[in-house]
Amino acid sequence: MAHCERASRPLLQCLRSSYARSLTGLQVQARGFQSTAGVAEAQSEETQPFHKNPDPELVSSPRLERRLMRQGTTPIGSRRRRAALQGSPNIPFEQLPYQCFQEARNVLLADRAEKLEEIEKMRQRIARVEALSTEEAGGEQSRKSRLGAMQLHLEQLKIHADINDPLVKRKFEDGQGDMSKPIYRFLADRKWREYRRKILVQRITQMKVIPDVLPHCDPVVDTKLYFGKRQVQAGDYVLANVSTSAPKLDVQMFERGEKLVTIAVVDSDVPNVEADSFDYKTHYLAVNVPISAVNTKVDLAQLSEDSQVVLPWLPPVAQKGSPYHRLSVLIMEQKDAQPLDFAAVKAKEADRDNTLLRTIQARYHLKAIGAHLFRSQFDETTLEVMNQIGFKGVELELRRKKVEPLPYKRRNPSSFR
Amino acid sequence: MLQPRLLGPLRALERAFVPSIRSAQHTYQPQSLIPRTLSASNTFPKTTPSISRTLLPFSQVRYASHASQGTANRHSRDPAGKRLGAKRSGGEYVVPGCIIFKQRGSKWFPGDNCAMGRDHTIYATQAGYVRYYADPETHPDRKYIGVVFEKEGKLPHPRNAPSRRKLNLVAIPRIEPVEAQSDLVASIDENGTQVGSVAAVSAESGPQLRPGYMYREANWVIGRAAEKAGIVAMSYDRGNRWLAWRKRQIRAERAAQMKSLKGKKKASKKANK
Repeated sequence: MAHCERASRPLLQCLRSSYARSLTGLQVQARGFQSTAGVAEAQSEETQPFHKNPDPELVSSPRLERRLMRQGTTPIGSRRRRAALQGSPNIPFEQLPYQCFQEARNVLLADRAEKLEEIEKMRQRIARVEALSTEEAGGEQSRKSRLGAMQLHLEQLKIHADINDPLVKRKFEDGQGDMSKPIYRFLADRKWREYRRKILVQRITQMKVIPDVLPHCDPVVDTKLYFGKRQVQAGDYVLANVSTSAPKLDVQMFERGEKLVTIAVVDSDVPNVEADSFDYKTHYLAVNVPISAVNTKVDLAQLSEDSQVVLPWLPPVAQKGSPYHRLSVLIMEQKDAQPLDFAAVKAKEADRDNTLLRTIQARYHLKAIGAHLFRSQFDETTLEVMNQIGFKGVELELRRKKVEPLPYKRRNPSSFR
Repeated sequence: MLQPRLLGPLRALERAFVPSIRSAQHTYQPQSLIPRTLSASNTFPKTTPSISRTLLPFSQVRYASHASQGTANRHSRDPAGKRLGAKRSGGEYVVPGCIIFKQRGSKWFPGDNCAMGRDHTIYATQAGYVRYYADPETHPDRKYIGVVFEKEGKLPHPRNAPSRRKLNLVAIPRIEPVEAQSDLVASIDENGTQVGSVAAVSAESGPQLRPGYMYREANWVIGRAAEKAGIVAMSYDRGNRWLAWRKRQIRAERAAQMKSLKGKKKASKKANK
């Protein structure tokens, strides 16, 4: 028995004994119209025990949870909630016999109805302003700003209408939120900004991706990076043989509509021994990649060769002795969601080595909306990968340059005599 | 010497009392002609003159013989200088590790290509020219010490500019790490004594010169001496309780013996005292 089960057992027993009895009549009433057997009865007919086929909504023992996870389904909600649900009759909210609860629900429902009315009104006002001619609205500029403000208010109203709904909250927490709806996008954005975005911003600023690769980036899309099935946290070291194939991205937008983005992977730490400095290398470049709030998966290996991928994936390798290489993944929004001319871009950006991302950004009017980062260093699999890709300088290694010490200068020698 | 210091609080006390005492004196003066019989009237005239003497012109006298003895704790109040401050001025050339500024607390902060030591000492991490500067965009109040690579370089750099770095590495043919027995061996040549690791093949060939100027076999060879000699230890049998009992017995006996010895030692020490 899991500890949370043990903790909640007395409460559950109490609930069961007090409500199960009083609710039987209620449930019979509610099911009076049906001629088929109830769910509970149907379940009792099935003889398959729970441990053979655990339900992701009800499983609470860590062992069964693990088994489910191995099968590929994640248990839903918290373990405490699942344990509590095991013994609950699972009554819908409308039928729960708590007076105060029902009163509170009524308040929330009334608020929601009010908000819906406001939304309707706002839509009509927007339609009216849109119907006006430019002179009547007082110039193009004022009309644009007015419409923008009204749209913003409308979006806020949509969120306010649903934000207090317990079912919405539950669905979001269970990961079943529909990202095409503004409320779930809002909740997801808030959750991302609470923790994951802060971490990402810290990594890209502390590891100096921001001044080194691009002058500025304000991430507004949540980016996750996968090599195979494995997710890579921002700034993780990735083994050379793992990163031989292109990663998969999960780019979660929190705005409505679709965007076309340019995705670039840049190594900003290529050692240049002759110049005694570091160079840049573009490991991947793809343009015209569509993303939206519901269409988030981008497999860099699966993008179209003849309309998207400008520079195919080049596995990153770090020479022995070189400091770690930062491989920054940058997601840049194309202006007005307009596709770039693929042929022209491909002709122009053929050189991996001597193009700065800053230049590309300025040339095509891109705006960085997302970033991610992983690192690579020399490891036991690097040599193999180097031989595979025909890396120049496999047999070389980097060593520290000896620093000439300053000549010994005796300061104020007369005082020593 | 202590007298005036002690008298400070006494004077304050006196201020509180004196008016009443004086008025008392005035009232008592006609009575002083009367023979003193009361104990109270006996004490008053004795204490008042001493208090009034310290009250009126308060001054201390310090004689030459006294002053010449010197003050106590002079050296603790005037400690030796700690040689703090700038060791390299702005524009001077420094190499990595070169101390630029010594300070108590962080009066200056390390900027570009500098670091701060355990005692807040600022030192260079790259070879270059020292710059003392302020960087209000990073921190409005802090003063920074940095090192630039060019003689005419300026700090701070613009915030959005890519960081300027140097590689400071040279490319040499890759040296494969010696696979093998991690066993130390020493060799003496014109460069001095070299300590290195030996390959597994040569490690078995016999005694070699090892650190500590000893000709001996490798540690792991010594460890396998019993194996080479064919000495086999009795294999452990869980069920052999007889052997286990005997071992336990021996251990207990030994423990008891040690305990008794310990007690005796202590007792003998006490007896000596």
